[in-house]
Amino acid sequence: MFAYVVRRVLATIPVMAIVALFVFSLLYIAPGDPAAVIAGDQATPQDVERIRASLGLDRPFLVRFGEWVWNILRGDMGVSIFTNLPVTTMIQQRIEPTLSLMILTLCLAVSIAVPMGVVAAWKQGSWIDRAVMGFAVLGFSVPVFVVGYVLAYIFALELDWLPVQGYTKFEEGFFPWLENLILPAIALGGVYIALIARITRATMLEVLQQDYIRTARAKGAGQTSILFLHALKNAAVPIVTVIGIGIALLIGGAVVTESVFAIPGLGRLTVDAILRRDYPVIQGVVLLFSFVYVLVNLLIDLLYTLFDPRIRY
Amino acid sequence: MHRRTLLQGTGLALAAPRLARAQGNARTLRFVPQGNLANIDPIWTTTTLARNHGLMVYDTLFGLGRDFKPKPQMAAGHEVSADGLTHAITLRPDLRFHDGQPVLARDCIASIARWSKRDVLGQRLTVLLEEMRPTADDRFEIVLKKPWQGLAWALGKPSANICAIMPERVAQTDPFTQITDYVGSGPFRFRASQWVPGSVAAYERFAGYVARDEPADFLAGGKAVYFDRVEWHVMPDPATAAAALQNNEIDWWETPLADLLPVLRRNRDIAVEVVNTAGALAMIRFNHLHPPFDKPEIRRALFPAIEQTSFMQAALGEDKALWQVPAGAFTPGTPLSNSVGLEVMTGPRDPEAAKRALAAAGYKGEPVVILSPSDFPTINALSEVTADTLRRSGMTVDLQTMDWGTLVQRRAKREAPAQGGWNIFCTTWEGLDVSVPGSHQPIRGNGAQGWIGWSTSPRREALREAWFEAPDQAAERRIAEELQALVWEEAPFIPLGLLRPPQAYRRSLTNIVTGGPPLFWNVRRG
Repeated sequence: MFAYVVRRVLATIPVMAIVALFVFSLLYIAPGDPAAVIAGDQATPQDVERIRASLGLDRPFLVRFGEWVWNILRGDMGVSIFTNLPVTTMIQQRIEPTLSLMILTLCLAVSIAVPMGVVAAWKQGSWIDRAVMGFAVLGFSVPVFVVGYVLAYIFALELDWLPVQGYTKFEEGFFPWLENLILPAIALGGVYIALIARITRATMLEVLQQDYIRTARAKGAGQTSILFLHALKNAAVPIVTVIGIGIALLIGGAVVTESVFAIPGLGRLTVDAILRRDYPVIQGVVLLFSFVYVLVNLLIDLLYTLFDPRIRY
Repeated sequence: MHRRTLLQGTGLALAAPRLARAQGNARTLRFVPQGNLANIDPIWTTTTLARNHGLMVYDTLFGLGRDFKPKPQMAAGHEVSADGLTHAITLRPDLRFHDGQPVLARDCIASIARWSKRDVLGQRLTVLLEEMRPTADDRFEIVLKKPWQGLAWALGKPSANICAIMPERVAQTDPFTQITDYVGSGPFRFRASQWVPGSVAAYERFAGYVARDEPADFLAGGKAVYFDRVEWHVMPDPATAAAALQNNEIDWWETPLADLLPVLRRNRDIAVEVVNTAGALAMIRFNHLHPPFDKPEIRRALFPAIEQTSFMQAALGEDKALWQVPAGAFTPGTPLSNSVGLEVMTGPRDPEAAKRALAAAGYKGEPVVILSPSDFPTINALSEVTADTLRRSGMTVDLQTMDWGTLVQRRAKREAPAQGGWNIFCTTWEGLDVSVPGSHQPIRGNGAQGWIGWSTSPRREALREAWFEAPDQAAERRIAEELQALVWEEAPFIPLGLLRPPQAYRRSLTNIVTGGPPLFWNVRRG
């Protein structure tokens, strides 16, 4: 097991190298010029050229790429072209809101979606099943920003229960933290709940047909015990896989959610950086997201062994 | 525990932080700027946001009053020698930087030197400058080779770049490199440690700032601060900003979307007013390097088809208080604005006449590439109307929509449109920038050295030079009239009207300084 983990962690290095080359090349060929954005409307072409030179953007691709990789290897992600702040500082400033949003969404989604899926499978064909599936279709169909606006309108503007926007750090108290995040988490969690609920239902339906479930019933096991101890544990592998894959969905959704609720997270940082062509920030954030995604997949692989003892690495 | 008690307790626990924050917010002004404050050196960049930040953190030697005339601000006085060559400036006593150090003549000289390498009027000073020398700790002289009566105006103008007074050690930074020391001289201290670019920028009242003992007068007069703290909250989503304003989570929103104005106006706690009365002059800019707009006859041919009202309505809606037409080459309402030749914009509109004029000028149906930024709704609207106007005039239009980051790179290309270049883009210029020939980039005719579009006109350049040496405002007006006549003749750009986008703020705010950019002195709560 330990050897497997080491192998997988080492395998992230070539993956990250490919991601780095891909991102750097993509930004190199993409249209847009940060020097022109910085210089503003009044600048002459000479001003723009001078700014470009001062930022080192006039140097050849290989020189810039080599320097960037060398700095990354030393733990230096560079400095933002626009803010003059280290990329690591900018990521540190933004990582807590995004992590908070994703963790809360994940907890909310799993704690709602899995029981929903289980109950829908148990009551297959009933109105409960249809309601769950209807909700799943709705969750997939309605864009995150629409859900966000509707929630903000009802709970902030009409009822005045929650704030429309912003983020309060966890260290300032659990309730203020929760108050700012609950609406974004619900908005972002909609698609995720729909996805997990559907997969849970489908997997549970398959498991509930198995012989060992019939055996458990014959032995007099209760319904709750059958559903959550016997069936759910055996259905867990596909569910955990979908939860892992869904992390990418969360990362993408966080960009929109953070914009709608003005949360200063990594999603907004990425969008702002892309719009301004702040190359070091884009490269740093994409690299971080890729790394997180690879690690999450590793974690999911390791979780399989918990749910299915037959899986060995 | 009873269920009702539990519910009440939970409700109170949730509400308590909001109540506490509401009480704490009374001395904090929460402002949503027009965009993200991404860089904070008002000399390094010409962005409006950096300029607005600069006006808070740095003071200037002079400031424009409501009459657009410069008045001493950090300067106690300003004496000009009889030959007009030596400007002696004495600093007010008790001026201090945010680190507590006194503001000295050498700080001002270094600041002017840095500014003059980037700003368009500063570059004029560089040409005219003989020397700058301190004559005492609180007094220095600017010696010119030729008289320039516009010097005080240049040092006090609010348009980018402002002549921000920084400590000498900071002002010695290369003007093409960002500063890293944020010690300023203005009424607000920038809290760099709390700055989260793209989210929040915080400012605290600088207790050591000594305001002039005068009422506030736009950028002149007393800059008395009534809030302990000002926070800029970046909100990219207009609907969120509108909801936050209605929910009393912010106090002031600089750029409410025109579509959301009716909702905001219905709220009796919110005022929707024009704060920047100088507004922004909208215009069509041509690429003078490539056909068909390399010929002035073709550029002029479009005049009969241009209906300024349509452009304004597309940008800001039907409310005539939010825009002004007709507009000529200079910002309407400012001293040099004039009506010479304005009939080309006010006569009957006739796209058919434009079609005939285009044919007569030799237009043969070649495609016209218009660049439009999707992320700037106002300019996008102007571009759409431009495309429609050109089509109705018989031109073949290729409207290309892209994000601003791509557009600014694309429009810098000098290649032919077929090779990735362009023919037209629409833009807006701050009203104060284009109120005088000196800082009016679109009116210039310095070709390849000039602003994007690369218009060449020795006559316009000569008139601009003459403006710098104009002895009085009457002479300035005559030059402005001649320049406007040349604009109609050579058509380096087409003015589309003056936009005065409103700002929205809670009615609890009073005494907001109007005239130009959002200013945070004089304003108070209640």
